[in-house]
Amino acid sequence: MGNGERGRPNKKIKYGGKDDQKMKNIQNAEDYYDDADEDSRDGEGEEKKRDFTKLELKPDHVNRPLWACADGRIFLETFSPLYKQAYDFLIAIAEPVCRPESMHEYNLTPHSLYAAVSVGLETETIISVLNKLSKTKLPKEMIEFIHASTANYGKVKLVLKKNRYFIESPFPEVLKRLLSDDVINRARFSSEPYYGGDGFTIGKTSGELEAGPGELLNEAELAAAAEEKETHSFEIDPAQVENVKQRCLPNALNYPMLEEYDFRNDNVNPDLDMELKPHAQPRPYQEKSLSKMFGNGRARSGIIVLPCGAGKSLVGVSAAARIKKSCLCLATNAVSVDQWAFQFKLWSTIRDDQICRFTSDSKERFRGNAGVVVTTYNMVAFSGKRSEESEKIIEEMRNREWGLLLMDEVHVVPAHMFRKVISITKSHCKLGLTATLVREDERITDLNFLIGPKLYEANWLDLVKGGFIANVQCAEVWCPMTKEFFAEYLKKENSKKKQALYVMNPNKFRACEFLIRFHEQQRGDKIIVFADNLFALTEYAMKLRKPMIYGATSHIERTKILEAFKTSKDVNTVFLSKVGDNSIDIPEANVIIQISSHAGSRRQEAQRLGRILRAKGKLEDRMAGGKEEYNAFFYSLVSTDTQEMYYSTKRQQFLIDQGYSFKVITSLPPPDAGSSLGYHSQEEQLSLLGKVLNAGDDLVGLEQLEEDTDGMALQKARRSMGSMSLMSGAKGMVYMEYNSGRHKSGQQFKKPKDPTKRHNLFKKRYV
Amino acid sequence: MPQVKIIAKNFMDMVASLPAIKLDKLYNNVFICEAILRSLPPLAKKYVLQMLYINVPVPATMMEEWVLADGASKHRVAIDRLIQLRIFSEISDRKRGTSYSLNPTFQNNLQKHIISGGVLPREPMNSDNAIKLPSLQELETYALKQWECFLLQLINSGQGEKLTGISSSMMKIFQRGLLSQRDKDGPRLTESGFQFLLMDTNAQLWYIIREYISNAEERDVEPADLISFLLELSFHVTGEAYNSNTLTEVQNNTLKDLADLGLVKLQQGRKDSWFIPTKLATNLSVSLADSSARKEGFVVMETNFRMYAYSTSKLQCEILRLFARIEYQLPNLIACAITKESLYNAFDNGITSDQIITFLQQNSHPRCADRVPSIPENVTDQIRLWETDLKRIEMTQAHFYDEFPSKDVFEAACDFAREWGGLLWEDSKRMRLVVKSEVHNQMREFLHTQSK
Repeated sequence: MGNGERGRPNKKIKYGGKDDQKMKNIQNAEDYYDDADEDSRDGEGEEKKRDFTKLELKPDHVNRPLWACADGRIFLETFSPLYKQAYDFLIAIAEPVCRPESMHEYNLTPHSLYAAVSVGLETETIISVLNKLSKTKLPKEMIEFIHASTANYGKVKLVLKKNRYFIESPFPEVLKRLLSDDVINRARFSSEPYYGGDGFTIGKTSGELEAGPGELLNEAELAAAAEEKETHSFEIDPAQVENVKQRCLPNALNYPMLEEYDFRNDNVNPDLDMELKPHAQPRPYQEKSLSKMFGNGRARSGIIVLPCGAGKSLVGVSAAARIKKSCLCLATNAVSVDQWAFQFKLWSTIRDDQICRFTSDSKERFRGNAGVVVTTYNMVAFSGKRSEESEKIIEEMRNREWGLLLMDEVHVVPAHMFRKVISITKSHCKLGLTATLVREDERITDLNFLIGPKLYEANWLDLVKGGFIANVQCAEVWCPMTKEFFAEYLKKENSKKKQALYVMNPNKFRACEFLIRFHEQQRGDKIIVFADNLFALTEYAMKLRKPMIYGATSHIERTKILEAFKTSKDVNTVFLSKVGDNSIDIPEANVIIQISSHAGSRRQEAQRLGRILRAKGKLEDRMAGGKEEYNAFFYSLVSTDTQEMYYSTKRQQFLIDQGYSFKVITSLPPPDAGSSLGYHSQEEQLSLLGKVLNAGDDLVGLEQLEEDTDGMALQKARRSMGSMSLMSGAKGMVYMEYNSGRHKSGQQFKKPKDPTKRHNLFKKRYV
Repeated sequence: MPQVKIIAKNFMDMVASLPAIKLDKLYNNVFICEAILRSLPPLAKKYVLQMLYINVPVPATMMEEWVLADGASKHRVAIDRLIQLRIFSEISDRKRGTSYSLNPTFQNNLQKHIISGGVLPREPMNSDNAIKLPSLQELETYALKQWECFLLQLINSGQGEKLTGISSSMMKIFQRGLLSQRDKDGPRLTESGFQFLLMDTNAQLWYIIREYISNAEERDVEPADLISFLLELSFHVTGEAYNSNTLTEVQNNTLKDLADLGLVKLQQGRKDSWFIPTKLATNLSVSLADSSARKEGFVVMETNFRMYAYSTSKLQCEILRLFARIEYQLPNLIACAITKESLYNAFDNGITSDQIITFLQQNSHPRCADRVPSIPENVTDQIRLWETDLKRIEMTQAHFYDEFPSKDVFEAACDFAREWGGLLWEDSKRMRLVVKSEVHNQMREFLHTQSK
């Protein structure tokens, strides 16, 4: 693996840079974690520079789309005629680093090569295709790296048969090698009957028929041995499966296991009678992601990455409909459980009695011997005492052999919860769905062995161009701090209120109010305002008289508010805390205003953007040059000269890497807005300041949600000083107070007349 | 150190600044007369031709009648230029007012030239000569390569191998104003140096040639000779070989320097030596505005602040390094990123956001050049915003005073500083004040008198 390590940027905690130094001074010590790909680009200046000018250009290099560097970096020209093929190939073998318009960058890593092998690409195929596409001769380091990383791949399989886990391989010596490892040896069931010298069970399995990137390869290269092979196997303890898998990963024994499910030949588990409805027409990229999953007629475990709004649920439902076995679908919260159940009924012919929801509010059970269960991660992983009824359902889940474990939003679920879920439920095939495969806690590699490799990742910009997702205009609105707020912000004793101070900055409030008015009245848009800071959320929502949803809002009330937002003409703006980040589906919204956010979480930014990505309106209007070229707007309001600016840059990184660009707007609200917007007079501003300063530290802090792992990662080292009310549990009082009459106030709201003229925000950026 | 202004001055401005005697001497050369004529503004050209065969002074009042009222300013410019170049001489007469006449040498030569045409003092090579000449394409590649080598050496002085034959003393002359010598860090590009590198080739050439000429005297070369030789050179045909046997020693030496800059290519025959002017040489007398033939751009700027330059040139790489972080160098691609740090570095060196943006726009790859805007808006905005961010604080040199013996002295000092308009800050509780440096001397004196 000597070579292998070279291609991977070192992971480490990053402190460097003056900015961080500054951060530390003005804030409690916080650790900023960066994951691998960012680190490699932020590098420590000159020594990171890499000179590959010595690589030999091929004479016809103009016609070839990519450059490959010895350190694993690959550059792809998107204007090449071979772009589409090259993209599909690269996304299978490498991790995308950034994908803007003209030039993409990818990194070849052991993990990405593992993913490549598991979707059926062979070492020689990878090298020869790469060589064909490359403008230069492939650096020999890269060839060695690919060889070294893939030599052992695809030799071992993990198979679930009749509720028992077996490790299977055509090479008994490989199995012996695995068993020499302590962890694996201990996981092996010793009660297994003894066969032959090695103690391996010998069976037969048919070879694989590959479906590689056909356009680029001739038949001979694609042909794979189709004859039957003798396989050897041993059984392992289901509780140890995950540990065993981890031991087999590239950073340990380096025999990553493939998980495949030959569902067509599974006669043990009963079939589920479901088909896709005729109107469910998967789009090309959905088709492609499914073909990666079912490439060889079996179902592979892995993760499919599609932007929000691009139709992840159809991919999930289609996968379930192909496997046609019992399916367990896991979502992050009760609202999305409802939405998943709805999606299943919408796209497939599944009967109502074959699908059931299992949440704290509804405990349904399906009839017959096969069906779909939709539930939350929490319900399955819950370790406390359950009701008798729940216990029964969980017991049923535990005993069932699931054909498909469908996992939504895999990037948000903590690794330990995954472990639990996976050890409780036995499934032949696991499919993870997500929009953003970034995590601030560096646990993204965990997903690799918990679920499987990334099978497909769509390119955001291509989907925008194809009109499949909305073309979003992103803007960062710079709101200068008012003098008084900034003075308080700089005071040491207010270190815990810093966030509240920059979020409650009156200029920010005015900008927000202005934007809401502009979009409600001028364009008739539906607006979501995001605020992580509960204090700010309530202050803003109360002042502007808009409905809001946060962690403590009950399921019923949430549903009610969302319903009103969807249908009522009077409710055009809703305030959401970070509960709205994931999987609350609000297809009507097309404007997001973010007034406070969670430190530097890139995922949160992407997820929030995802709330408005669902394409609306007619396709031709949305294409470049159409009358509605930009029909969705994402505003991030930041207070200048505060740490928010630093976070903001960091947060945007993921989206920027996907090709999005943020415009900076410095002139909001317009200077002539005057008293038509709130907090115009200094008195008002000062009284607001007083309110912020007098609020308890616990009130102005962040909302903590159970499912929130990024939050914990980003402030791991924060020393929290709770107030008495926090420690005593009186914190809940606050929730109660704001909870009342929320719905009413939303309807009481009368739109004030806006005296300002129509402003073309995007022409006027400089003051 | 002389103040060097990086203005792409016209060759003719330099000619105009020569002393009268030298200028008159220049006009002995027919080709120079023609070159000068070509360089004139249209109206001035017309006046010269109109007066070519008039041997008496023409009254200014009469000339003024030649133009319409709205052409008055152009008329003024033309006359000024002609006088500056000593083509016109002004004769003031109390009775008849001002009148103008053509410089007789200039007039004679031009008359002759019009009738008989000029013959270059050097013969072009016969076509049956055995020496193989480079193609125009090869010649251009050669010229650009030489030029680039020269520039690289110019900015990388001290380090690296010697790339061109330019003597180090000459190099020092060129570097004057472009590089600053610091004791510790070694030479560093100055603000002008950055601007120089961002200019297009022709403008850069002008700057260097100008330096070359203005320092001719230090090398015991007559600047006028040099100018006349350079102007003459521009009448040669690109790609033709000319025998250098008619050249003087000075011209021969100059030719060697010019070859190092890529203006000519030297070729040694069996018994004669030849020189082949390149495009750089023949463009010399062309005015700057029309010579900026657009080169094909090579930079792709992405919305994520990453920049990809299709270039094999080391020089381009060095130029990009001025404001961007180079990350990968590939055989025909340079991958870099514009970051806040890299830009702050550039601003620190006096390079402005406008210069960077203009450079990016002028050099943007044909694939993006048609895009509007060719450089993503968010990138240009951000570059400007970062620059304005740096300008929010104004620095004033100041002095800090404290430990005043008494409140009275302190207040008197404050008043004094206020009177002089130099009081920046005062803290009457702890008796401290900050005063602009300009007032420091007066302040000191004042405090002296107070303490007595």
